[in-house]
Amino acid sequence: MKALDKITNLFSHRQKVFLLVVAGVICGLGGLFLYLLRAHTYLGDDSSACINCHIMTPYYATWSHSSHGRDATCNDCHVPHQNMAMKYGFKAVDGLKHVAYFLTHSERQAIMAEDMSAEVIMDNCIRCHTQLNQEFVYTGRIDFMEAKRGEGKACWDCHRNVPHGGMNSLSGTPGAEGVVPLPPSPVPNWLQNIIGK
Amino acid sequence: MVVVFILGLLASSLMERRAEVVSVFNNKRTIFTDSIVSQNEKFKADYPREYNTWAMTEDTSFESKYNGSEEVDVLEQRPEMVILWAGYAFSRNYNTPRGHKHALDDMRKILRTGNPGIDGDADMQPATCWTCKGPDVPRMMRELGLDTYYHMRWSELGNEMVNTIGCSDCHDARTMELRPARPALYEAFERRGLNVKDATYQEMRSLVCAQCHVEYYFKKGTDYLTFPWDKGLTLEDAEAYYDELDYYDYIHSLSKTPILKAQHPGYEMSLQGIHGQRGVSCADCHMPYMSEGGVKYTDHHIMSPLANIDRTCQTCHRQDAETLRKNVYERQDKCTEVRNRAEKELATAHIEAKFAIDNGATEAEMKPIQDLLRKSQWRWDYAIASHGATFHAPQEVTRLLSHSVDFAHQARLQIVKVLAKHGFTGDIPMPDVSTKAKAQQYIGLDMPKLEEKNQRFMDEIVPKWIEDAKAKGKLIDL
Repeated sequence: MKALDKITNLFSHRQKVFLLVVAGVICGLGGLFLYLLRAHTYLGDDSSACINCHIMTPYYATWSHSSHGRDATCNDCHVPHQNMAMKYGFKAVDGLKHVAYFLTHSERQAIMAEDMSAEVIMDNCIRCHTQLNQEFVYTGRIDFMEAKRGEGKACWDCHRNVPHGGMNSLSGTPGAEGVVPLPPSPVPNWLQNIIGK
Repeated sequence: MVVVFILGLLASSLMERRAEVVSVFNNKRTIFTDSIVSQNEKFKADYPREYNTWAMTEDTSFESKYNGSEEVDVLEQRPEMVILWAGYAFSRNYNTPRGHKHALDDMRKILRTGNPGIDGDADMQPATCWTCKGPDVPRMMRELGLDTYYHMRWSELGNEMVNTIGCSDCHDARTMELRPARPALYEAFERRGLNVKDATYQEMRSLVCAQCHVEYYFKKGTDYLTFPWDKGLTLEDAEAYYDELDYYDYIHSLSKTPILKAQHPGYEMSLQGIHGQRGVSCADCHMPYMSEGGVKYTDHHIMSPLANIDRTCQTCHRQDAETLRKNVYERQDKCTEVRNRAEKELATAHIEAKFAIDNGATEAEMKPIQDLLRKSQWRWDYAIASHGATFHAPQEVTRLLSHSVDFAHQARLQIVKVLAKHGFTGDIPMPDVSTKAKAQQYIGLDMPKLEEKNQRFMDEIVPKWIEDAKAKGKLIDL
């Protein structure tokens, strides 16, 4: 308590009010910033979160028309599922990389998985198709790094079109830009109703 | 506060990118009523992305193992080629090609077009030589009529040909539809019972290139630009076509062989390769699509696909960029290995043939040798003049080059026999042609004089062409 008193005694009443307001503005605008970026959607597993920005549109469009589009989400393949820490840790690192590429306009025209990502994807192929590739055939008994060293094949060395199709280009699905679910208006329904729009 | 402000800026920048999808045609500023508009600058406002990438063909910095964007003196690298082209202007000057934006500059300064107007020198070349050099060509063909155009001399149109290869060469200016602007392509299709207009969009993405990047010749007497496609699009088809006409481009000054000079059958050769046969168009790799802020457009910075592997090869191939680049180099290396052999053998054969003629070989004795040399050189030239064929169709290039080596060897065997008949059995003496300068001196070219005249041509005549075109509004500055 003494320590707290010491800190509160440092500021006058006016300063306290001012600081509270400033802190409120920062928190409020920070919150608004994250909300407008739809940052909350990144916590869940909804695939449409991945097309909050338009870069991933071709990959969303090709996935949604593939067999994997019926039951598997982006996260099912693209983030690890061993435990929550790994899942969100990977999501954070990968997501921040995407932010960096996006802000600096340095996205590739044909996006390819980096090694770290490829490992996760291959583990996930094996995770869902376990019985098939461990009991019936033995293709799922290695991981991506072994395949990279030439000690076997990665899943997509044969299943080349799964699930994003044979063409890999940001320009591959020009018609999908206006068709994929676009992010909803950030203004909530109840507010829209109040202002009568 | 600063933090809030910056966060706000970031948020709005991100939101702006969300709304980047725009429509080009709804907001056109310049409406063209004519299908041919030769000033490329007039397209800039409406097609900024295409225009800006096209303007980047000015850049010569991309280097590759073979044929980057920079100009390389090929004769310096390969003095044998001076010998192969003895008696033809190519022995004076031959460089690797630069981007479309340099087409006019490179043509004016090349020693092959001569220096008309300097010291009363006449033209070396007909106006037909301009044909691929820009959108002023279709404009003048329409103004003058085809026969008049082909009949003129090169320098007579110097003040008209001022806009380099650009928009109207491939596009109808009114609609931006793909439309090749050179009649020779339409005529060659017609003679084969085909119509360019029936081509699919994907085929058109190659045919606009095929209006220039093909084998062609100027008809004797009329200089009418013609593709030798009547019998088909392979080397053998073109050879049969030329043989039937007794056509030759020049008489080789050493071996007296009537030589066929191959132009640049880039389109024909690409059809022999796996990419062409699977329907990949020229533009797919040389003008890859770009997505920039939700807008898809075609990159008009036409260049080696190796400069942008991430949007050329990797659109279809999953391997990493370095592997793909190595795959290309490997094919080019192997072709070049055979090419080196072909050039050595063929150059030697020409020099030996000259020795035989000088030592009393008769015309009848030389005829079969010259037939072999003609065949050998036609195969070598066709394979190497089609820039990029070492990748487009490596197996066809090696096939042609190995036939070239074989014909050159056969010729050399015959020469030895003929010489033996005339009493010569020793080693045929070889001149020192190990550098470009030595080789050019050997075939009797006075290079300092040619270069000096060309310099005066560039300083005195060309600036007048440009001035005149600017005064008449045919060349505009932005």
